Amino acid sequence: MAESVRAALFARLRERSPAPAEPAEIARALATIGYATAARMPHADLHTAFIANVLANKGTLELALDRGAAVRAIGRYLYKRFRTHKLVAGNDPRLAAMPWRDGGVLPRFGAAEPGDAAALSYARLGVAETGAIVTFTGRANPGRNNLLPEDHLVLVNREDVVATLEDAWAKIRIETGAGAWPRGIQFIAGPSSTADVEAQLVLGAHGPCRWHVILVGDTPAQALEQARGELPEA
Amino acid sequence: MKVASQDFLQQAHEALRAKDKVERRDLLGQFMPAARDAAANAYGDFDGLRAHMKRVRGHTTEHLAHYLQQFEEAAVAHGNQVHFAATAEQLNSTVLSICQTHNARRVAKGKSMVTEETGLNELLLKAGLEVLETDLGEYIIQQAGEAPSHIVGPAFHKSLAEVRELFLAKHKLGERALESVSDIVEEARGVLRERFLAADVGIIGANALIAEHGTTMLVTNEGNGDLCANLPPVLIICTTFERLLPRAEDAMALQRLLVRSATGQSHTCYTSFYSGPRREDDVDGPLETHIILLDNKRSDILASDYHEILDCIRCGACLNHCPIYIGVGGHAYGWVYPGPMGSVLTPLLTSLEQSHDLPNACTSCGRCAEVCPANIPLPDLLRDLRQEESAQQLKPARWRRGLRLHAWLLRQPVLYQRLTGWSMSALGLLGKRRGAFRRMPFASGWTSQRDFPAPEAGGTFMRQYAARKRRGGRRG
Repeated sequence: MAESVRAALFARLRERSPAPAEPAEIARALATIGYATAARMPHADLHTAFIANVLANKGTLELALDRGAAVRAIGRYLYKRFRTHKLVAGNDPRLAAMPWRDGGVLPRFGAAEPGDAAALSYARLGVAETGAIVTFTGRANPGRNNLLPEDHLVLVNREDVVATLEDAWAKIRIETGAGAWPRGIQFIAGPSSTADVEAQLVLGAHGPCRWHVILVGDTPAQALEQARGELPEA
Repeated sequence: MKVASQDFLQQAHEALRAKDKVERRDLLGQFMPAARDAAANAYGDFDGLRAHMKRVRGHTTEHLAHYLQQFEEAAVAHGNQVHFAATAEQLNSTVLSICQTHNARRVAKGKSMVTEETGLNELLLKAGLEVLETDLGEYIIQQAGEAPSHIVGPAFHKSLAEVRELFLAKHKLGERALESVSDIVEEARGVLRERFLAADVGIIGANALIAEHGTTMLVTNEGNGDLCANLPPVLIICTTFERLLPRAEDAMALQRLLVRSATGQSHTCYTSFYSGPRREDDVDGPLETHIILLDNKRSDILASDYHEILDCIRCGACLNHCPIYIGVGGHAYGWVYPGPMGSVLTPLLTSLEQSHDLPNACTSCGRCAEVCPANIPLPDLLRDLRQEESAQQLKPARWRRGLRLHAWLLRQPVLYQRLTGWSMSALGLLGKRRGAFRRMPFASGWTSQRDFPAPEAGGTFMRQYAARKRRGGRRG
């Protein structure tokens, strides 16, 4: 039965175009349509725009000059929130190589379990247009690490921030070109939220209640102030 | 889901009598369009984006067999099992047989309008499975034993007090206040978390199918769909072929339209692309994944003059902007899809006989077409369905006779102008003192709700037009 249902559907779809075009011809037609134009950026500067959109997505963000500063920032965050230095993180070589002792942070490398309060991901990309970060599922970042904990902390390198969603896919194509396609590619833009009751926004629906992004690299402090609207743009 | 659209008029009357619900919907009708407009304006060239998507859709539809084959091949290469279902029953039985193969007992579901359409839950429950809706809105209405009233916010019709009562009755958690929306969300989070972790099978829908990579795009804010896709050992994706798009970039363009039109956001919290079962490099994720592609008359619609309705991205903007939907609410429509898109889809997916009142639930104001991100000419499609209704003689005989008489009269200009001129003078004289009528023969439907204004002096439009022409042909 299953095969006949499939065949019948394909036959019906083919009825619509009696002379099927060559794949190359279809690809050419698609190429002439091109891509969409991206959303207007809140700031001219790429990183200021990214920061502004992370904040608009109800995330929190801080800047860290290097990995040492990032570790210390994580340590401060964990202590303030949970009076602990425990953290779960994926087996990402970049995370393994971080100077954890400097921040007094005690990461457990692996997949998040129901009791884990905080998880850390090293994002592949940041997208300025939407204030999203991109992760791939796998040993380096198990899918559940993005979803189960109360707090999701994300490191993103300054140089991995791209302008638009199309730019993000151009990078993803390169990263996935060599190896196998990951099981899941996740664009995350904020803590999980719902407005299903009384159309009132509540953070922490089924996923994390808090989403903290640390932008790693030499970003001037005024970018954060500008993104917050505390300082006029230069 | 069982169709109750044949009782639309009665259901609409009842809906209008519940004053508190009417007020809730009035607020929705103000708040949601304002959020959508703000997001569309902030975007920049939103109309340009809509036009771009229309071109991409047109191209995809033209080569649908090509893209479906590309999608299927890529999805199978990723390790998915791809199934085709011609009817709702076939989709349901495919899901059930997958569950039975795995001796599954507990099913966790993300929001899926397709499975609402097929009535999947009912079948799974009958077969002895535990089925849990995990989207908060869907969970609330599942607990209440109701149908969704809105395709984006299924429980928008419920007040905080009603949800509180429901949770106190359903969750045996002892004494607690449960006074705020946050309390409600927190309780649902706690109750559902346990059940996510215990689920044997996850079921989700898809917002887009990306042909080039054989992946499906899932767009959510709560993260419940992603938990369904990542935690249980078996994942079933229930979707339809018209979600196909050629490239990932096209899915992103769709996402840009969808989030702004649905909730006024610029990005949903989670936009995920799933390719299949656990890879060698994975330490979590499902071990087995299935994609079920439902037709359910869609290939008929594709071949018909109504094919543009298949471009619908289920954002709900046409509902939020429709004076009828805001007036009577989603339940009055009697099936899964309400509002303008539902008034087109329901007759096509069920039957016009059962639902011919829905295309008439339209004031032809055109707001739905103005905001539809997929640029679907909804008022035109509704008009065509009304024409079909007339051709199939689905209206009562008295109504049809009246319409025929009216059509005949319109084709006799001299008689028409005389008759309207006389009745206008007569009504003007009779209603001169009050300026309006409380009651009128043949128009009790109108006068039961409001006064009928008496015509003012000066005659009909045609008479004034002729008089003006005689005075010197001035235009004004």
